[in-house]
Amino acid sequence: MLRHRFPPLGGGTARPTDLIRRKSTGLPFPGQQSPSPDDRMLSRLSKFGLSLPRLGSVPPARFVSQSKQNSSAGSSAVTELHNREEKSEHGEVSQYVKNPDYHGFSSDPVADEWNMKVGFFMGISVALVIGGTFIHYLPDHGMRQWARREAERIICQREQQGLPLIEENYYDPSKIILPSSREE
Amino acid sequence: MLMVLFPTVMLLPTIWLSPSTQLWTSALAYSVAIALISLSWLCFPMETGWSSVNTFIATDPLSTPLLVLTCWLLPLMILASQNHMAEEPINRQRTYISLLISLQIFLILAFGATEMIMFYIMFEATLIPTLIIITRWGNQTERLNAGVYFLFYTLAGSLPLLVALLLLQNSTGSLSFLTTQLFPPLQLHTEASKFWWAGCMLAFLVKMPLYGAHLWLPKAHVEAPIAGSMILAAVLLKLGGYGMMRIIIILDPLTKQLSYPFIILALWGVVMTGSICLRQTDLKSLIAYSSVSHMGLVAAGILIQTPWGFTGALILMIAHGLTSSALFCLANTNYERTHSRTMLLARGLQMVLPLLATWWFMFTLANLALPPLPNLMGELMIITSLFNWSNWTLLLTGAGTLITASYSLHMFLTTQRGPTTSPILAIEPTHTREHLLMTLHLLPLLLLIFKPTLIWGWAL
Repeated sequence: MLRHRFPPLGGGTARPTDLIRRKSTGLPFPGQQSPSPDDRMLSRLSKFGLSLPRLGSVPPARFVSQSKQNSSAGSSAVTELHNREEKSEHGEVSQYVKNPDYHGFSSDPVADEWNMKVGFFMGISVALVIGGTFIHYLPDHGMRQWARREAERIICQREQQGLPLIEENYYDPSKIILPSSREE
Repeated sequence: MLMVLFPTVMLLPTIWLSPSTQLWTSALAYSVAIALISLSWLCFPMETGWSSVNTFIATDPLSTPLLVLTCWLLPLMILASQNHMAEEPINRQRTYISLLISLQIFLILAFGATEMIMFYIMFEATLIPTLIIITRWGNQTERLNAGVYFLFYTLAGSLPLLVALLLLQNSTGSLSFLTTQLFPPLQLHTEASKFWWAGCMLAFLVKMPLYGAHLWLPKAHVEAPIAGSMILAAVLLKLGGYGMMRIIIILDPLTKQLSYPFIILALWGVVMTGSICLRQTDLKSLIAYSSVSHMGLVAAGILIQTPWGFTGALILMIAHGLTSSALFCLANTNYERTHSRTMLLARGLQMVLPLLATWWFMFTLANLALPPLPNLMGELMIITSLFNWSNWTLLLTGAGTLITASYSLHMFLTTQRGPTTSPILAIEPTHTREHLLMTLHLLPLLLLIFKPTLIWGWAL
């Protein structure tokens, strides 16, 4: 929603002629210029719900032109996209005053609760629970758990047979061919 | 790989085409869905090491934990930014989320890159959205200086890397990570090879950051908005660690001599930045310096080049990513209420926000490496492998651990315990959103206690 500052009317009060002018042109504020064809096209496009990135050609401030031809005060009001002073009240009054069940997401209570539910469901029930289950059932990477089970099984087997748990020689000594001491 | 990359790219049109009432909800929901899909990378069916192989991108046990961390962090950043962005015009909110998503895309491509030049390009590409986030949405005038330091420190470090990579391509003909680990040892006998070694390592040492080149980090972390701090602390620092772990494989045997000053600098940095933390008045600055301290330990672990060193480094990177990001979120909850980062202004918060004090306690304990959290496991593996290399390092690492515990407790006691200052009594209670954010930081950390093999990489 565009917020715009109201320029001071000439003389400080609205005169009847201004009201008549308002009705005829269909524009809400007296002294307002009718928008150019580009502005009209863009306003029509924005009704489709797309947020077109404005590439600098038509700054939104010109949608409602604030300069008046017959203004006694010579100031050219620069319009802003939004009015900072009104929005800064957000920090002053706690959101809990209007909405005791404020969850921290949005000032609209319905959207706030919906966002909270989506966040908790997706974050915890989907990502952590389903993801955790997936990770739990991952195959044995690098055969570590198999190696542990195999080692325990072989230890049991060797103890039953009375054999040493592991042979002293890593390699079979008969397979090692040593050079004879006479050769250089 | 593309299963995650395409949805992330398509998040950009989703953000721009969502109606304004559903923007943050849909961003959150879809980014969590992408994080869930990213968990599929943790399945390593083949023993070759590399899975999900494509011409340009692949995953292996080193890059997968970092990729999953990156994907997990996007919903957390969206949750954290929702409140302070609420007052901005809708298109600026969309731009902000788009910057976060583009960071995620670049990071996925960086961690998944199989070729070093692609990694380099993505490494540099992540600088741009981060710079925009810091300088446009930071809250103080110092953000411009912070952006300059951040950009130019990293660029100055990485230009030699580009030259070094081109030299490597010239001499070996290939820069693919898949094949460089199988190279015969390079002939590195000339003096120039030492400069080449330095060129390869400098970019990553500055990014980590190493103690001497760390000045950009406190500035950037402090001046960034919360999502910027989170992504910087959790993932962008780890780009340096990851790059170092990839390239150090081919830098032997020069590393044995040349890494000496850097290991000492890293360990000295652990002690020094820890001591600086004890004197900080700014909460975010304290957490930023603690990041330098932990990353110093990671850098030392990587430069040692032992299996335990690499494993400890990777575990500590993941655990530190979650912990540091959570601490920045907690500092942000303070900042959103008091609009000040001074620790002494917001004391005794346990009486005012008791539920938040639980999170402060949990993450303080994680920061000071409490067992059985992976923070301790990583630190212990690094300290052990450093002790194996040289017994004297125990003095520095032991002092570092002690100082880490001191400043973590100092941070907790200053913010949570003690008398409550009078302006604090009227602050807004905690939101469900903030508790959800903390939960989503803590639960993965706790779950990793039970399966550390996910994050210990390919060395063990």
